[in-house]
Amino acid sequence: MKKIFFFLCCIPLFARDLYITRSGTISFYSHTPIEDIVAVNKQASCVLDLETGSLAFQVPIRGFVFANALMQEHFNENYMESHQFPSATFKGNIEHWLELDLGLDPQDVSVMGTLTLHGVSRKISESVTIARVGDRLNGLARFEVAPADYGIQIPKIVRNNIARIIEVTVNVKLQKK
Amino acid sequence: MIRFFLLIFFSLTTIFSQEELLNFLDDGPKEPLPVQATFKATRIVNSQSVELPRFKILEFMVQHRFGKVENGFYDLFGLDEAAVHYDLKYGLHERLAFGLGRSSWKKTYDIMVKTKLMRQMEGLGKTSPITVVLFFNMGINTLRKDAIVKDNFANRVNYLQQLIIGRKFNEMVSLQVSPTWIHKNLVPTNQDEHNLFSTSLGGRIKVTKHYTVSADISFPLGSRPENYKNGWGLGFNIETGGHVFQLILTNAQGGYEGAYIEDAYGSLSTGEVYLGFNITRVFSL
Repeated sequence: MKKIFFFLCCIPLFARDLYITRSGTISFYSHTPIEDIVAVNKQASCVLDLETGSLAFQVPIRGFVFANALMQEHFNENYMESHQFPSATFKGNIEHWLELDLGLDPQDVSVMGTLTLHGVSRKISESVTIARVGDRLNGLARFEVAPADYGIQIPKIVRNNIARIIEVTVNVKLQKK
Repeated sequence: MIRFFLLIFFSLTTIFSQEELLNFLDDGPKEPLPVQATFKATRIVNSQSVELPRFKILEFMVQHRFGKVENGFYDLFGLDEAAVHYDLKYGLHERLAFGLGRSSWKKTYDIMVKTKLMRQMEGLGKTSPITVVLFFNMGINTLRKDAIVKDNFANRVNYLQQLIIGRKFNEMVSLQVSPTWIHKNLVPTNQDEHNLFSTSLGGRIKVTKHYTVSADISFPLGSRPENYKNGWGLGFNIETGGHVFQLILTNAQGGYEGAYIEDAYGSLSTGEVYLGFNITRVFSL
């Protein structure tokens, strides 16, 4: 009896159809006439539940790498305040998941959920291109984020160097857990 | 009984909610990370901080000290005069930097090497509570021949070795202590020591995200001439992206390493203090 119970309790963790990565790429690009700023993070984690279409992201802020090391430090210390908010997260759902037929051809789906950045959570809805390649599920998304929406203050003196709208690119290759 | 467990089992499996997915991701290992931004600049005010020029970054620093403020409006609180030290430093590695400098004080050229022996780490696992930096500086005085007692190259050279031990206590407060050994190849009189030992204290308080207040002071170990004063400096630091601007009040006019430790003769009570600024500009190469 006890054995059966134990066995049943273990099932939820193993039997789930989870696709996961711990090395997704997230980059952002800020363009102004004065300077372009690019940072790349290759430590993004993402998990997708194939049964429900629910997905979640976790991105360590310290993982963003800039060409200018001092800028990277200031990004962490004064803009993202990564000591206080060490990671950005997203949790959401792929819409109309059950009607989707995941094939080789890339297809655009809509993802809705909550993005938490710098301690501020906002509902977002973005278009994502997904495709099944072999035993992998690839996802690619490009969307815009306004730092001001997430309480990230940009001092007057560098206001012309940092774009008001930052372009974010997400690229993940999920593998079955 | 079995039915009860089955009920729990099925309710568990039906919803692997988004929150649970997020918690699932959170299980990943968290490695300790080096603490960032103990100080804004590579100098606190006069003295070297535990910060190095960052990897692949060329750092240009100007230390500008005006004249004494004692004459008031006559020379606009010393603004008519100036002593400067320029240096150019490069981060060869995350833990190693090299630099060249030039000071108008005794027309001194200097070479510096700064290396990080230990980094303060935070996070789970093996961490370190402090940052330890070794700083080496060699200064070559290039005054004209007649200004030197006995002219040969060795007599123009001074060395400074410094062990800098610092800690960022929290986002607001960072402190450091730096035992220092200065060796002067040539000293003015027989009574003067060739080897001078001292220790410096420095710290900062972060006022807002982009402004900090910092201070440093040196204490001698062993005897000094009567006119010796503890060199001190008080700074207000503004960080603006690629720049750090430090507004300074100090009793040492020489921005050069040995000068602010062993050759600070000013005192606040007599108005023999100097206004000045440090500007740091970085270029990524």
